[in-house]
This record gives sequence, structure tokens and C-alpha cells, in this order.
Amino acid sequence: MKFRRKWKAMKMMNMECDQFERILEQQDNGPLPAPALAHLEACETCRILSADLGAIRDAALELGAEELPVPERVWISLRQQLNAEGILAVERPPVPEVPAGWWAVFQRPALAGAFLSLLLAAAAMVGYQSGSVQIAMHSPLASPPAGNTFLSAEKEFKEESLAIGNVLIPQLQIRDAAVTDSLRRNLGVVDHFIAMCENSVREQPDNEMAREYLYGAYEQKAELLATAMNRSVTGGLQ
Amino acid sequence: MNASCNVVKAGALGLIMAGLVLIASPASASPGDRVEKHFAVQSKPKITVRSSNGRIQVKAWTKNEVMVAWTNRSGKSAVDTEEAGNRVEITTQEAGGKISAEDLKTDFEITVPVESELHVRTDSGNVTVESVHGDMTFDTVGANLQLTDVNGYVMAKTIDGSLVCTRCSGKLEANSISGNMQMIDPSLDSLRVQTSSGNILFDGSFLSRGIYIMKNFSGTIEVHFASSDSFDVRATSLKGDVINQASFKPDTHGSPHAESKFGHSLFGTMNDGHAKVELTSFSGTIKILKRD
Repeated sequence: MKFRRKWKAMKMMNMECDQFERILEQQDNGPLPAPALAHLEACETCRILSADLGAIRDAALELGAEELPVPERVWISLRQQLNAEGILAVERPPVPEVPAGWWAVFQRPALAGAFLSLLLAAAAMVGYQSGSVQIAMHSPLASPPAGNTFLSAEKEFKEESLAIGNVLIPQLQIRDAAVTDSLRRNLGVVDHFIAMCENSVREQPDNEMAREYLYGAYEQKAELLATAMNRSVTGGLQ
Repeated sequence: MNASCNVVKAGALGLIMAGLVLIASPASASPGDRVEKHFAVQSKPKITVRSSNGRIQVKAWTKNEVMVAWTNRSGKSAVDTEEAGNRVEITTQEAGGKISAEDLKTDFEITVPVESELHVRTDSGNVTVESVHGDMTFDTVGANLQLTDVNGYVMAKTIDGSLVCTRCSGKLEANSISGNMQMIDPSLDSLRVQTSSGNILFDGSFLSRGIYIMKNFSGTIEVHFASSDSFDVRATSLKGDVINQASFKPDTHGSPHAESKFGHSLFGTMNDGHAKVELTSFSGTIKILKRD
């Protein structure tokens, strides 16, 4: 009996990384259970993951300290969209309530903005870390080689912002119709510029300036979506 | 003993709650009434205005006092003011019930000490600021900004609101998607403006050691210079033209610029090249024109 208890405890201590990730995901700002802490101590990968998520959460909470919560339906739709596209690696059926855990980061508009900015930063990192010439030669717009993580960051940003835009924009509920129109119209302007920049980069892969404009347009789109979310939540009130 | 103690506690709590409600209750008035409030402040107060719709007019005076006056034509919105230390916050709120954007429209006249820090957030309407010296931020969707004789570090963000900065000095950073930007007769030593489809106009002198960066996507960038100005220029439009009336000599500072194989570029130096001017467009036209 004593041996079985000890074996069970050892098994818990030898938690797999995926189990740890599940616990981390479900954790709601509280302390981690002992087995997870033990795993954290032993596993460097999970330590890095935990530290990264903690840093993102802290930064995001700081950013969103004064914001109002987003209507639940927006997040449900958004979550469904992200799940459908496989961007969230959590296979759960749609639930009528907002789940706890790190997903809470998305519950505030400023946090969503921060998330978009993070993705943008990842995309920008492609340009600066790999060197623009190399990137240009392997542009995602011109069939990137498989497994290029830098390029997938850019692609992911694009898909993500598209998904969020598709969910958010039709549901914009701003009291002032002129403001709603302005946001929609300008989103169209930015999308048009993104398309033009993409064409240029495709035609001239070593054109650094075109690529800079493309990243600038991505950044503007992220900021515009964050503004739209914020104005939507406050209903036009400040 | 316990019961009477509880009654006293409940009474005290009631008084505190009533006090809190009185402090927190926003001021409301009959439709169209002008309401005015005064706040005694020290020098360099921080003033924050949040209002979704309407005109916001800020002026400066020499008093150490902030005067806030507002008018709400519908009477359906309320203005909440808060003073804490040297900080004054002004927020428009709905007075109750479901109201339209037009009902929320509130016009403000705010007078502040000359040296004040100002933060304005609004969606639509107009914001005008005159003669305020201090750091300022503006965050608008469609509201137009008109800044006159301001001095400080100004940061402005709009979606399609325009910016007109007349005789502004200090530093200016502005970002918009489709808003136009005009700097008329500025004394700025740092300028960084960017708009996507809007036009940019700079009509003034480039100060020595100043850095001026103007960038857009499809609009026109127009720079008017005086023949006595001293600056290095670098202008590039990927798909548009660069029109130049200046007689630049080759840049004598730093490494020589290689002609880009993409788009139209211009590099050169005017007089001693003290200031640095960078003009960039994707498909817009860049014009470098003489003032005199």
C-alpha cells in the first residue's frame, strides 16, 4: 500500500509536458499544484513557457487595467474562429461561458491589442533577425520553404488579424454610426495597402522598402483593430 | 449593547455612502444649459478629457486655475469631473437610458494654466488647443485637431481626423490612417508624422539639428523651404514622383547614398545641411518647393 502511494506520487511528479501545459492553461492566477511545481523545477522547456506566459499576462493586465470587459459573445465567436482555424491548440467544444486560465488575457481589448502587437513583433523579427535579403529571397508570398518558423510568424499574424477582423468588424456596436463607418472604411484602406504591398514584395522580393511598408501596414491594422475593439466595448463612450 | 452598536455602525455607513454618492455623482443640467466649474491647481497640472462627441476647445490663461464649461444640447449626458491633487479629469457619461450619439454630443470650453499637461480622447467632433505649453496626447477616431501656438511634446493619433498645427514648437509625433496633416510655420526641432492615405504639408523652417520625418502611403507630401534653410534631404517614392525645386549639392555628410533601383529617390544637401529631412512615400508624390 505504501509502495503504491509512493509510486502514484512519483508518477505525478513525473508529469509529462502536455499535462503541465494543460494545468498551466487552466490555472487562474493561483499557485500551481505541487506535481506541476515539481515538473516545472525539472523541465527547462516548461519553465520557459511558464515564464513567457507570466510575462505576457503581467504586461497585458497592466495594459488593460482600465479597460472594460468585452461582450462575451465577441469572445465566444473569436474563440470559435480561432479553434476552427486550429490557431488555438485546445480542442474543446464551444462553451457558453468564458473559460478561465491564460485565455483570460483575451478578455480585454487592450490585451487583444497587445496580443496582436506580439504577433506583429514576431513578424517584424523575421525582417530584422534573418536579414532582409534572406527574408526577401524566402518571402512567404513566394512559396516559403517548409518549416521556416520566422516566416510562419508573419503568416500567422496575417491570418490571425484577418480572423479577428472577420469576427470583430461585423459585430461592431458603436453608438455613433459615423465612427463605425470610419473604422470600417479605414480598415478597407489598410487592407488595400496590405494587398498592394504584398504585390510589390511578390514582384520585387529584394525591395526592402516595400517590405517595410508591408510591416507598417500590418501594424496599422493591428492598431486599428485594437481601437475598434476598444470603441466597441465602450459603445463610443470614453 | 451590540444592537445599539450596530445601529450606530449602520448609520455611519449610511452617511459615508451618501457622501460617496454625492462626491461621485456627475453634474447634469437642463438641456442646453451651460455648466461651469472651477478647480484651483498648482502650476503644470495634468488635465484629462474623455468625451465621445462634440467640440473641445482648450485655451490658456495665466491663472493657476482650470475652468471647465460645457453644454449638452439634449440634456441626456452628464459630465463627471474629478480633481485629485494637481490632476483634473473630465469625462462625459450618459445620464441614463439608451441615448444616441447626438444626445451625447457635448461641447467643452476649457481654460488651463499656460504650462499644463493635456490628454484628450474623443471619437468625433473637433479639438482645438491654443497657447498651451506642455506635453499633450490626443487619441481620436474622426475628430480633427487644430493646435495653435502650442509648445511641448505632442503625440497625436487619429483614424481619419486631420491635424493642423500652426506655429507649433517642440516635438511632434502624429499617426493617422487617412487624416491629412499640416504643419504651418512651425518651430519644431523634431517631427515624425505618418499617414496612410492622407496628405502631409510642411510649410516652415527647418531648425538646426532638427530631425523631420514625414511618411505616407498614397497621399502627397509637400515641403516648402526657405533658401536660407540648412538641411540634408532624402526623399523616396516607390511608385510616385519626386518633384524638386531646390538646388541641392551632393550630401557631404556620412557615406554616399547609393541610388535605389526601386522608385524615385533624391538625396542632397542645402547650405550646410544642419537639419535632417526624410520624406518617404509608397505611391504618393513628394514635392519639395520654394517658399519665397
